[in-house]
Amino acid sequence: MKHLYRLFAMMIVASVVLAACGTAPVATQAPSVTEPSAAPVATEPAATAAPTTEKIELVYWSMWNEKENQAMAIQEAIKAFESANPNITIKVTWNGRQNQTLLRNAIASGTKVDFMDQDADQVAGGMVAAGQGYPLNDLITPDFEDIFVPSVLHMFDVDGKTYLVPYVYNTAQFFYSKDAFDKAGVTPPQTWDELLAACDKLNAVNINPIAVESDIQGYNAVYFTYLLARLKGPGWMRQAAYDKTGEMWKDPAVLQAAQMSMDLWTKGCIPDVSKGYKWPQAQETVAAGETAMELVGSWLPTELVKATGPDFKWGSFNFPEVSGGAGKSTDLMAFMLSYMILKDAPHPKESFEFIKFMLSEENQKGMVTAGLVGVPRKGVAWPANIADSQTAAETATVVFGEGDGLQGADAELWVKVIRDPFNDMFVGKLTPEQFVEKLVADTATYWKGK
Amino acid sequence: MKPRASMIILFLMPAGLFYLALFLLPAAWAFYYSAFDWSGFSDEMTFVGLGNFVKLLTTDPIFWSSFGNTLKIIFVGGFFTFTLAFLLAMLLNSGIKGKKVFRALIFLPNVIATIALTTMWSFAIFSPRSGVLPNFLKLIGWTSASKFLWMSADHVFWSMLIAIVWINVGYFVVLILAGMDRIPIEFYEAAQLDGASMIQQFFRITLPLMWDVLTVSVVLWSISAIKVFEFPFAYMGAGEDPNLYTIGVYLYIMGFGKRQPIYQLGYATAIGVLMLLLIIVVSIFVRRLMQRESLQY
Repeated sequence: MKHLYRLFAMMIVASVVLAACGTAPVATQAPSVTEPSAAPVATEPAATAAPTTEKIELVYWSMWNEKENQAMAIQEAIKAFESANPNITIKVTWNGRQNQTLLRNAIASGTKVDFMDQDADQVAGGMVAAGQGYPLNDLITPDFEDIFVPSVLHMFDVDGKTYLVPYVYNTAQFFYSKDAFDKAGVTPPQTWDELLAACDKLNAVNINPIAVESDIQGYNAVYFTYLLARLKGPGWMRQAAYDKTGEMWKDPAVLQAAQMSMDLWTKGCIPDVSKGYKWPQAQETVAAGETAMELVGSWLPTELVKATGPDFKWGSFNFPEVSGGAGKSTDLMAFMLSYMILKDAPHPKESFEFIKFMLSEENQKGMVTAGLVGVPRKGVAWPANIADSQTAAETATVVFGEGDGLQGADAELWVKVIRDPFNDMFVGKLTPEQFVEKLVADTATYWKGK
Repeated sequence: MKPRASMIILFLMPAGLFYLALFLLPAAWAFYYSAFDWSGFSDEMTFVGLGNFVKLLTTDPIFWSSFGNTLKIIFVGGFFTFTLAFLLAMLLNSGIKGKKVFRALIFLPNVIATIALTTMWSFAIFSPRSGVLPNFLKLIGWTSASKFLWMSADHVFWSMLIAIVWINVGYFVVLILAGMDRIPIEFYEAAQLDGASMIQQFFRITLPLMWDVLTVSVVLWSISAIKVFEFPFAYMGAGEDPNLYTIGVYLYIMGFGKRQPIYQLGYATAIGVLMLLLIIVVSIFVRRLMQRESLQY
């Protein structure tokens, strides 16, 4: 009854805003969603879980929609797994991108779920932070650990405990049209100055240098995160955010990072009209050949494949180094999609066996072929249009999540205090000086409120 | 107990019980949860008393900007909605041919899905790339106006408000027309014989005789404006633009996170409680403000 009323209470909170509205709110599709098409069949051999004759049903809540390519690859893998483990069936609920939120409501009403998947930053800041994760340290063997490219398996560890197992790897880089770069005689910039010089060359041949979706705060804040990571090194931004006085933001590098990001507008890298773009209009200009590049995740070539056609020549390069900065150009921001077993999962070991199976070479290849995405398993070739991203992932010196890991650690702090004010500055509502002042003041206020 | 009273209670009981179980008790629980720091993921709740309300009112600038946006919708949006609704209602009531057809057309946005409307306004009308409006302005040679960025951070709220007004006008036209229709035509004929102008007729006859309808309309508008959620939420598209936050949207962001793992259900519930209190206060205020002696005719 308590659970029931708790669920009702959640419904009431939602209904306060929803009840008067004629239709339910439309869950916005994530920018990284890909269109469905024929999914390849995951190949055998399937892993077998611990031998037992007990009939087991694993309950899996997924972030995919049933007809998406990745979901089809997962369904094929499930069939293969069930075939190799006749006593196990897997019951999937395809929730789409609101998976974690729906799962929270389900947990509140007493529903038992074995494992789920979602963007790692989101799960780290949600289920894991709420203590709903099942620690996997005892299940992870050295062999299993060895299959991953560097730094990704333990990216979201909490106090030495691993809760998340990544199975899709997206890099945050500049994605560019090779044809546009060739036309302007530009090679991938290695330094910030080279990036600005590339803008001049591209403008000279009437190609807009950089596409920006002004309404996607998460995309634009990548500039600030990377600039601070290049100037002060990865991890510094997170430290500054956790300084309860806000004083760390007064470091001259913060204002420098803000001003450098604004230089992109004033020096002609980003056309002013971008301030009026709403996703996906800016990225469509890349597909149309009007703009050369965009700082975004490695899902972009796949997301634009209908507009570009399969022959579009994509390249990607890491965010450039900044002269005199502490960070390296090989320090990489990444967005992982991960599995997590729930703390109260009825069958954690069997769930882990399935997750291991999904990380097998065959199924990782299946995911690459179906979703045209990168994967964290070593030795599995990524799709050709993001081959540069695989190099970036394999040579990464440090890998960090959105907002230098802040989104997973304290999303409210990241979103309200840093990301959204940065975007306001980036699209011209604040000056860099005002932005820094706001950072200092709002950080102190945020921690005071805590 | 009189038999009549017991019958009334008996007949009201099924609906009353449903209302009690499905709304009043959960609402009471919502008040209870607003006093806790609670993510909603587990039973782990920390009692904070009025802490959520104190935080909201003293250290949360986004709540206040969301509140400000809500007020803009109520007052600025309300002013334009009712002005346009009255103008259109008077036009329709002036003996124009095809009144029912026009009324249906004006009401049409109310039956179209919000996502379709937001897509139409943000992509098909305002977009600098594909929008009808900038392209039309360009076509007629008004180049400077065609470069106005309706969807930029500076203007996106006002562009949304235009769309909200456009959608709601039809609904209030129907209500106002219903009020106008019951005013005897003889009143206007007599006024015209006495030489009253259109404006005088409006202020001396139309407005006073449909004051009760107007009062109800203003209360309905105020409540829906305070709760407005789906249009700004859908208008944000894939992003989460605080420039478009209303109290309702901010509640959702804090409680359900959209794409972010912000799961502060206790805090979000406190926002919901404030919303409820705001609705009660505004409803009483509007009713008091618009209280007039009832005219019989």
